[in-house]
Order: sequence, then C-alpha cells, then structure tokens
Amino acid sequence: MFAALSNPAILLASEEGGGGVEFPPINLIVKWPAAFGEGTFYGFNKIALISMIAMIVPVILFLIAGRKASVVPRGIQNVMEVSVDFIEKQVVLPAIGKDGMRYLPMLMSMFFFIWIGNLFEIIPTSHMPANARMANPIMLAMVAWVMFIGVGVKHHGLKYFKDALFPPGVPKALYLLVTPIEFLSTFLIRPFSLAVRLFANMLAGHILLVTFSVLTITLFGAGILAIAGVLSFGMLVAFTAFEFMVAFLQAFIFSLLTAVYIGGALHPAH
Amino acid sequence: MFLASLAALATEVAESDPTDINPVVPDEIGEIFWGAIAFFGLWILMRYVLLPPLLKIRADRRNQEISDLQAASAADEAAEQVRRDYDVTLAEANSEANDIIAEARAAAEHERGEIVVAADSEIASERQAAMAELDSQRSSAVSELGDDVADLAVAAASKVMDASLDEPIHRSTAANYVEDAR
Repeated sequence: MFAALSNPAILLASEEGGGGVEFPPINLIVKWPAAFGEGTFYGFNKIALISMIAMIVPVILFLIAGRKASVVPRGIQNVMEVSVDFIEKQVVLPAIGKDGMRYLPMLMSMFFFIWIGNLFEIIPTSHMPANARMANPIMLAMVAWVMFIGVGVKHHGLKYFKDALFPPGVPKALYLLVTPIEFLSTFLIRPFSLAVRLFANMLAGHILLVTFSVLTITLFGAGILAIAGVLSFGMLVAFTAFEFMVAFLQAFIFSLLTAVYIGGALHPAH
Repeated sequence: MFLASLAALATEVAESDPTDINPVVPDEIGEIFWGAIAFFGLWILMRYVLLPPLLKIRADRRNQEISDLQAASAADEAAEQVRRDYDVTLAEANSEANDIIAEARAAAEHERGEIVVAADSEIASERQAAMAELDSQRSSAVSELGDDVADLAVAAASKVMDASLDEPIHRSTAANYVEDAR
C-alpha cells in the first residue's frame, strides 16, 4: 500500500561506472503523489494514509483494551492503562493539575496521533514520518493554540488577554517593551514553535536516515569502499534506534507543551 | 517597503520551479484535511468511546482497593481484638489453673498431714500393743526362766555338795537371786 503511494525508488545514487553519491532532491523524499483527488482538498497521499493509520491503531488498541476490561488488568488492557497513567501523571497533573483531567482525551489523542505518525519513520516499506510534513504539526499546533486561548477566555474572560499582554507587577513604562514581546511569544510564536519543533525534528531524522541509506547503498556498490559501508550501515542502524526514541520524545514534548499552555491559561497566576 | 518585499517574494515563488518545494509551508491541503479528520475523529472517539471504559474500570479498581483496605483494616482490628481477648482468657485460665493447683496442693498437704497423723497414731498404738505383748512375753519368759534356773541351780548345787538340799528353801533363794538379777 505504501509502495503504491510512494515515488519511484530513485534513491540508488551510484552512477553506472561508479560516479559517486547523488543525493535525491528534497521533494522526492518528502512529497508524495495522491492515490486519488490529486490537487483537490481531499487529495489522499501517503501522509494522509499514515494519518488515518495513526487514528485507527489507537482506536483498535483501546477498543480491545476496553472491551473486556477487568479490575485485574491483563495483556493489552494493562498496556493501555499504563499509557493513560503516563499521560495523566507525566503530562496532565504536573502541567495543569487535577482540573486538567477534562483535557486528558485531547492530550491522549494528540500523543498517540503524533507518536504513531512518527513511528512510520522507521517502519519498513513506509520510512516516512507523517510529521516530517508541515500539515499535521501545523494543524495540531492550531488545535493547541485554539485550546489554550479558549480555555483562558472561558475561565477568565477578556481579562485573560489583559493579564497575558500586561503582566501584573511590571512597571507601566515597561509595557511598551513587554506587551509586544508577550503578544508575539504567547499568541504567535507558541503555535509556530510547537509546529516547527515537531516538524523539524522529524524531517531532520528522516533526512538523516535517507542520507545514511543512500551512503550505505552507494558504498556497498563501490568496490573496496564497501568496508566503509559497514560503518555507514552501523550508523544507519544506530540512527534508526535513535529515531525510535525521538518519535516518542517529540510526541511527549508536544503533548506536554500543549498541557503547559493550557495550564498557564487556566491558572495564569502560576 | 514590507509589502514590496512580500510582493517580490510572491513573484519569486510563482516563477520558481514547481518541483522545488519549501518543506516548511504545507503545500498539500489534502494532508491537512485528512490529518484533521483523523485527529478530530480520534479525539471524539477517545472522549466518548475509548477512554471511558478504562477510566471507569480504573475508578472501580480504586474503589475496590479502598474497600479492600478498609476491610483489611477492620479484619486486622478484629484479629487484634481476638488476640487481646485470647490474652485475657489465657491470663484468666493461667490464674484459675494456679488457683486450682494451689487448692489441690493445700488439700493434698492437708490430707497428707491427716494420713501421717493417722499413721503415726496407728504406729503408736501398734507399738504400744507390741510393747505390752513384749513385756508380757518377757515376764512370762523370765518367770519360766527363773523356775528353770532355780531347778538347775539346785540340781547343780546338789551335785556339788553331793547331798540333798532342802528344795523349797533353796528354790526360794534361787528365785530371789533371779529376781535380783533381773
């Protein structure tokens, strides 16, 4: 299925006769043709497929876990309860507090959607993290942005904007400096930094893996240099393991920062 | 100035090769569309379908833990009460046993004293009877022996003096002697 949605495999870089490394253009490793609806708003390409899988996988796991949920958890129920506990104890409670439990479904969804989307970076035949494209990160960052502003307005009314832009305790003359900075950092840079952090990390990891893949293939077909190919292959394996960790870490960071922003809007004094 | 820069940038982008993409700009609206559908679908399902069973079972487990802990605490308290009751009962039993032993010992001591007194009394009476019997036997023996000795002495004296002696006189002499010798 992934192969059908992928570009032609043109990653083999060595020219006939041994002409050195030719790295594929960036658009060939991040841009994917649509299976249908090309050029329309519903164009369904590889990234869209990964996004749908990133939704379906947690749905299936949670349905299995909840179907025969027992007081003494076993198997998949145990795993999913651990994930719920993780998000609750590491994200919701430290960043928002007990009244943040109402945001648990959103943060759980965010975490699983990002994590599984990221994992496709190292899943054979896919090798493309959904978040190495800007679409999902910017969409999720907009969700976080709307959420924390919405929470702030819901709980504090328009005073939320006043407190955010004119922090109490600051000398009035400094508002000339502080207010624009607060406006930029809170309402513009936050969603942008959220999106770019996730996107850039995953894109960098993807390019790194592609680089070492191309290098390894090239070196293995380059006579005596095949010895160096072993080293390159070792690095490829090591970076794959590293990206496995990054996939989890970025999902955790995105969820945590979203929770921190919501917590800040809910309890501005803190 | 700023608008002019933006216009120049837009012109540059429009004239650039369409295969040269800027990866920071989301250029495929379909990816955002399907991503949003997937994420919001997951969020809605998570909120209303996926999480509630696990949160409910977790709450049930927590309630059961609390009730089990309370039951364990109550059982522990009951066990402690039983242990205290047992200690009290044991102490009472020990005290009662000591009383019984003391009473039995006193009764045995008393009975032993009575038996000893009775035995002493019986021994004394038997001894007295035996002594009386002994005295009687001895008197009888001495009396018989006195007669025999007198006869023997008279006979012996007669032999020595080779003459008949006045038996009644000498018998009384011998009897007196025996009586003195006793």
